[in-house]
Amino acid sequence: MDISKGQRLPLSLLFAGASQTVQVGLNISGLEAAVDFACFGLDTQQKLSDDRYMVFYNQPKTPCGGVELAVPAGDRTGFLCRLDSLPASIDRLVFTAAIDGNGTMRQIRSGHLRFLQNGQEGARFAFTGPDFQDEKALMLGELYRKDGAWRFCATGQGFNGGLAALVRHFGGEVAEDVPAAPPVPPAQTLSLEKKMAAGSPKLVELAKKATVSLAKYRLDATIARVGLVLDASGSMSGQYSKGRVQEVIERLLPLAVHFDDDGELDVWAFSRKVLALPPATLANYADYVNSAERGWRNWGMMSINNEPAVIEQVIEHYRGTRLPVLVIFVSDGGVSRNKEIKDLLIHAASLPIFWQFVGIGGRQYGILEKLDTMAGRIVDNCGFFALDDLHSISEQALYDRLLGEFPQWLEAAKIKGIVH
Amino acid sequence: MAISLSKGGNVNLSKEAPGLNKILVGLGWDARATDGAAFDLDASAFLVKMDGKVRSDNDFCFYNNKSVADGAVAHAGDNLTGAGEGDDEVIKVELSRIPADLDKVVFAVTIHEAESRRQNFGQVSRAYIRIVSEEGGQEIARYDLSEDASIETAMIFGEIYRVGTDWKFKAVGQGYAGGLGPLASSFGVNV
Repeated sequence: MDISKGQRLPLSLLFAGASQTVQVGLNISGLEAAVDFACFGLDTQQKLSDDRYMVFYNQPKTPCGGVELAVPAGDRTGFLCRLDSLPASIDRLVFTAAIDGNGTMRQIRSGHLRFLQNGQEGARFAFTGPDFQDEKALMLGELYRKDGAWRFCATGQGFNGGLAALVRHFGGEVAEDVPAAPPVPPAQTLSLEKKMAAGSPKLVELAKKATVSLAKYRLDATIARVGLVLDASGSMSGQYSKGRVQEVIERLLPLAVHFDDDGELDVWAFSRKVLALPPATLANYADYVNSAERGWRNWGMMSINNEPAVIEQVIEHYRGTRLPVLVIFVSDGGVSRNKEIKDLLIHAASLPIFWQFVGIGGRQYGILEKLDTMAGRIVDNCGFFALDDLHSISEQALYDRLLGEFPQWLEAAKIKGIVH
Repeated sequence: MAISLSKGGNVNLSKEAPGLNKILVGLGWDARATDGAAFDLDASAFLVKMDGKVRSDNDFCFYNNKSVADGAVAHAGDNLTGAGEGDDEVIKVELSRIPADLDKVVFAVTIHEAESRRQNFGQVSRAYIRIVSEEGGQEIARYDLSEDASIETAMIFGEIYRVGTDWKFKAVGQGYAGGLGPLASSFGVNV
């Protein structure tokens, strides 16, 4: 059975019988650049309210198993859909394709979205370049609930803005003016999840969540170095002893492994003095705060705050690097040396370093809260957000916030020639 | 409370709203959310006799012939993109002034330049037709076409017709190949 662009029909028309399991096969040929396929599971508002329902090569299965990456023979990719396994909150499955690189969908030589059951094709929506214009991302087709049954629509519409526009359409937050992804270097071809396979299952789970955010912000092909600055002043002792600081390291490690060419997270602790700790890696991350340099209690910290000293040392460490640097600076507040911090960061705006300050469980963040609007800088090189408790937001939301401002800086820094 | 109709369903307007005379026929759809050529949809009305044909070309109400049957049916204008709240196109009908030899008013929507833009009704989201009392402003009946949208470029959304002294409204939802020209021809309009 052939399905035309724009056609809507009940799924029951495609296959005899009551089976709620169908396989979708997708193929597009004729495009020079790589095409990323995905299946988005949307709520009744047609929004992606749960990132775990975006299924693609780095997140090959929904938590319920209702959608799973499964490629039929002869197709570029595909999804096995067990529709009766999906929670009621998932109202619609949208099958998408996005060009990662040059070209538009009008260059498609041939393509299709087809339905199979038990390996047998039941219906096919075929399309070619003239069906499209300058789109870089397409919603090829949608399975959706209507009056208690599943229906299909051969949508065949999309966005010139590519994956970012698509994600925005589904209600996702995308940094404005996201930089175009640079070509993927060979060293980056391993998926984050595979790299994390050397770690614990918990890290693999975190890697999946980080990957979704990285894709959302078009950072999946960005290479950067990642540094972590830990407030180790006296008021932080509870956060260390309760394991919260260790948790921060575990949550950030997937980002470092993803971005960093050496997969290392550079770590500094500071109080009155500054301590450069050994980089956190997949080999040593477990129990890092209790084992690095004989554990946090032996770091000689737990005194007053001296942010300027650590900022200077971090700047010094990355001097001469040709890669962009994402520094995540964890503080519980009590910031008083505002003038010195401000001067240092204004001066550092010409360096390829972005400072993401994260306030945890504190108050009196001082100048940190005003960094976004600080004048006199060539680019906005700082971001800040505060959390009452690390546990007050989901890991997914944390990654979104950590990565939210970095792409804008990266773009601006490229324009100003700060980053190459 | 307005009556929501499914394809093929009908409602007696005179019984639902006794004394109903002036009605607004509102037609709407969502503006295109995706990139590409906008959907430019045109509403039109055909005033036909018992045999389903117009008396003359003057009984075809559309953007170039806005007031027909001495003003009994009047096209209130075109919204080019479908953006904004409310109905995208409105056709005003004064039931008591529809000439006795006319039996039915058929409301259709066509996609302008559908062929060259490779568009069809299947790509248009949330299309509907509704009957509103002009005096009170209340909605009497509504038909949402979304799931009945065809892959054709012209569609009859609905029609009002005489049953004795009453007027009824029917949800039609019938696609028509070829666009406005062939559709008009089928009602006996010379195009």
